[in-house]
Amino acid sequence: MTTNPLLQSGPAGSFYVAPSLPAALDALSDYGTAGAPFAGGTWIMRSPIRHEQLKAHYVAIGKIPELSAVKIGTDTIEIGAAVTHAALALALARLPEFGVLTAAAGRAANPAIRAMATIGGNLSATAFAAADCVPALLCLNAEVEIASRNDRERINLEQFLRMRSTLAPGRLLTRIVVPRNARKTAHARLPLRQSGDYPVAIVSLAVATDPANRVQAVRIAVGSVEPAARRWVRLEAALLGHVLNPVQATKVAAELADEFTGRDSVEVPAWYRVSVLPSLVRRAAVAALGS
Amino acid sequence: MALSLNVNGDRRGFTADPVTPLVDVLREEFHLTGAKPVCREGFCGACMVLVDDRPTLSCLMPAALAQGCEVRTVEGLAANGTLNPIQQALEACDAVQCGMCFPGMVVTLTHLMKATPGATRDDVRSALTGNICRCTGYESIVEAAVRALTAT
Repeated sequence: MTTNPLLQSGPAGSFYVAPSLPAALDALSDYGTAGAPFAGGTWIMRSPIRHEQLKAHYVAIGKIPELSAVKIGTDTIEIGAAVTHAALALALARLPEFGVLTAAAGRAANPAIRAMATIGGNLSATAFAAADCVPALLCLNAEVEIASRNDRERINLEQFLRMRSTLAPGRLLTRIVVPRNARKTAHARLPLRQSGDYPVAIVSLAVATDPANRVQAVRIAVGSVEPAARRWVRLEAALLGHVLNPVQATKVAAELADEFTGRDSVEVPAWYRVSVLPSLVRRAAVAALGS
Repeated sequence: MALSLNVNGDRRGFTADPVTPLVDVLREEFHLTGAKPVCREGFCGACMVLVDDRPTLSCLMPAALAQGCEVRTVEGLAANGTLNPIQQALEACDAVQCGMCFPGMVVTLTHLMKATPGATRDDVRSALTGNICRCTGYESIVEAAVRALTAT
């Protein structure tokens, strides 16, 4: 009955709202390649626009209590995969060390999207290059838990990003675990509009400094420039041991930015995404020093 | 698949693919055409409805997931035929637009007034971040919302 012609293909499927994690994992295992998890839906519901076929079966995980909670512990925080961006930003608002993640979750897209889109979906949407939370979690050294009907395993986020497109049917990202450390963090993003837009480029920064602002440990991640977010390891190495100076960091970033190959799109050309990186590094450094 | 929704206080049954966007069900099945399927990407806000009192992009919500929820469209905002405070303020300030984006804005602002009665002008602007007006008539709409908020 839909008027969206892109949805007029294939027989009607099924939509199972799972009441618990074991029930969701059982259903995903039973459906195999014909099924997929459905979290916030903000990526899956746009499949027709990308000319991608919808799955025959979806397993909704948004009502599973275990996946919808943020647990703040002494050493780590644990984020359920179905926690929305809005809920995550609210839960972390009073934890300055997670400012980078609060900003990523609290400023992505627009309010209604943030109320629907989940952190698990953000990490799992393989083709979504502009995901804000991915570089934020990379710089925070996050790990993710993958569960299936019969086992669970925890891997670091970088490993997950490499294998997410080939995740076996029946396996589900269930939670994100982020270590708590004394650090300064910042999330610098450049959308084409002031707000409500996806960013051209993102620089996420987590840095530990001594009292003289000398860098003792640092992780920097870049998002939206290439098809998948990744750490900027050479820039991290160049900053380590030196006083965090935004002007100097900008200069070093400009020297190292040619390691990125920007993705071309209708919004901006590839070179532009790379060209704004030094400015975003400066903004991130300024924000981190002020945090 | 047989589904049922609670829309504007009425329980309605229909048959559809469960992943059918809620906006299509509202418009094609129930003939509630206030919500508009414009971008179908969650960017424009023209399809905004309230689901359990929260502004929700009905182009991104599958009909099956709206089951058991209270869906309220722009057609259901005026209780017993009386415009709600934001609707009254928009009318008083002559802040109407072409009708494409406007229903979504009314839904968003209705929620803002209820959830954040002390909202500031900046709060109004933030709330409308996801409602795009191609006529660029934002200022009179923001002004009307501020006036309605001040009056409460």
